[in-house]
Amino acid sequence: MNPRPWWRRAGHASLLLVATVYCVFPIYFMLVQSLKTAQEDVFGNPFIVTNPTLENFEELFERKGQPRNFVGRALRRDYPFFVWLENTLVIFGGSVIVTLLAGVAAAYALGRLRPPGFRWWRRAIFATYVVPHTILFVPLYQVVIRLDLDDNPLVLLLVYPTLALPFCIWILSAYFQNLPREIEESALVEGASRAVAFWRIVLPMSRPVLIAAGIFTLGTIASDFMIASVFLLSEHNQTIPAGLATMEVALDELLAVAGINLMAIPVVLLCAVFARGYVRGLTAAMIEGA
Amino acid sequence: MVTAYLLLAPATVLLLGVLAYPVGWEAWVSLTDLSPLNDHGPRFVGLENYRHLFADAEFWRAVGITVGFATITTLAKLTLGVAFALLLARPFRGRTLVFLAIFLPWAYPASVSVIGWYWTLSPPIPTAYSPFMGALKYTVDGALGGGAWAFLSVTLFNIWRGSSFIGVFLLAGINAVPPELFECALLESRSAWRRFWLVTVPLLRPFLALAVFLSLTTAFADLANVWLLTAGRVVFPVVGTQAYWLAIKGGQFGPASALSLMLTPLLLAGLALLFRLFDPPAEARA
Repeated sequence: MNPRPWWRRAGHASLLLVATVYCVFPIYFMLVQSLKTAQEDVFGNPFIVTNPTLENFEELFERKGQPRNFVGRALRRDYPFFVWLENTLVIFGGSVIVTLLAGVAAAYALGRLRPPGFRWWRRAIFATYVVPHTILFVPLYQVVIRLDLDDNPLVLLLVYPTLALPFCIWILSAYFQNLPREIEESALVEGASRAVAFWRIVLPMSRPVLIAAGIFTLGTIASDFMIASVFLLSEHNQTIPAGLATMEVALDELLAVAGINLMAIPVVLLCAVFARGYVRGLTAAMIEGA
Repeated sequence: MVTAYLLLAPATVLLLGVLAYPVGWEAWVSLTDLSPLNDHGPRFVGLENYRHLFADAEFWRAVGITVGFATITTLAKLTLGVAFALLLARPFRGRTLVFLAIFLPWAYPASVSVIGWYWTLSPPIPTAYSPFMGALKYTVDGALGGGAWAFLSVTLFNIWRGSSFIGVFLLAGINAVPPELFECALLESRSAWRRFWLVTVPLLRPFLALAVFLSLTTAFADLANVWLLTAGRVVFPVVGTQAYWLAIKGGQFGPASALSLMLTPLLLAGLALLFRLFDPPAEARA
């Protein structure tokens, strides 16, 4: 169509290359490290791995109770990585579900049913992002102890959704608000109830926005490390981020890097699969919302 | 209407349940001298804590660093994010791959990547790259003071991850703008630079504002993470980490609460601005 001179194409290509390397290199570096033996980590080239090994990953899954070697005089601890993985799956999955359920319900009310003052309601919900999270866990711990949820993964199922809910409600309600009314009304005329119309028509239509909200939630809670490590104290209740933080990095550096990768791979894969949906959903919400 | 309130209930209860008491507690405690070190209960001291803070040079240093950190990271994230979004806006071969690469830093869970990042830039044990990293660390620390390298590495991490989020977010924003507007602009002016400032930026302004706001409210989480990770070895205090220090190490909950509430008015002002851009009142009548 419009033939561009070669130097512009080359410039474009090199910019793309720079952007890609900038984004991927730190992750590549961690991946390479986790595949190394201790030998190679110390003496090898830091950027490549010549004898890739999965021993760090295998070691993470080794059964508890087996003796582990000493480094100097320090006994290397056992890590119940399998339990951490399980906890992480349950907590992350549960939090995303809780967030989406509460978010869709609230967004439908705000965008579609519009009770009086709905705009201020929505703004107030979004304004919770302003709350300083710095020492919030001190009073929060008082609540948690009062509710007898101390050291209970359930706490995270209540706290995590609040990190993502405001944004999710914002984009979902912006989307619902501007869906043409006729779509639902035609179903209502046919005699369907509001709930059926929502379930059969509105929800399937909003799939991209739901994906966007879900991925945003996942990315947000997967980045938390503070709340998890403050509220989950005993080893068998921890999630991977909380557990990794308790590792002796000086002794188990490669093991920690392997753990990082094991945590990251499922999350990254999920995000990659839904990446297009994420952008499409955000776009859909923005067209309606702006 | 009852249905509407019923549907709003779960989200509202969750948010209020988690946030209402803690925020109220912080606001109340900031007016008292509550401390586990005192043998009496909390005593009401009025605005004493705030007055002390304003007179404290350390506080102003922390504010300066906080504002500097927020400004630099936000500018860098915006520049890179806009560049990413514009790079990806037009179709080309391999676009999906580049898009995924740019999406990756945000998708890679920060809770663990910050651990990896931190220990890579400040290696705890001898590895192949630690002599180089060590030399770098001492050069930077020597020039800027102890702890500068750790702080810098968190800053870099924050930019790395934030630019990815903003890039993808703005890409969605560009997709939401009708393409005719950009085509018209192409006819109006041949200078790409002018088109960018006169058309692209104004069209994207609401999305830019939302992206900046989200990045600001989350910018300090990374610092807090590293602060916990290193047991407070980050000697460059920002308002948030200084509040931790006061509360957890010093047991002074009053000043710590006052400190952590200090940035809230600023953020609220930013929020008011954001609502004007993103949720204009005119929309209600439409």
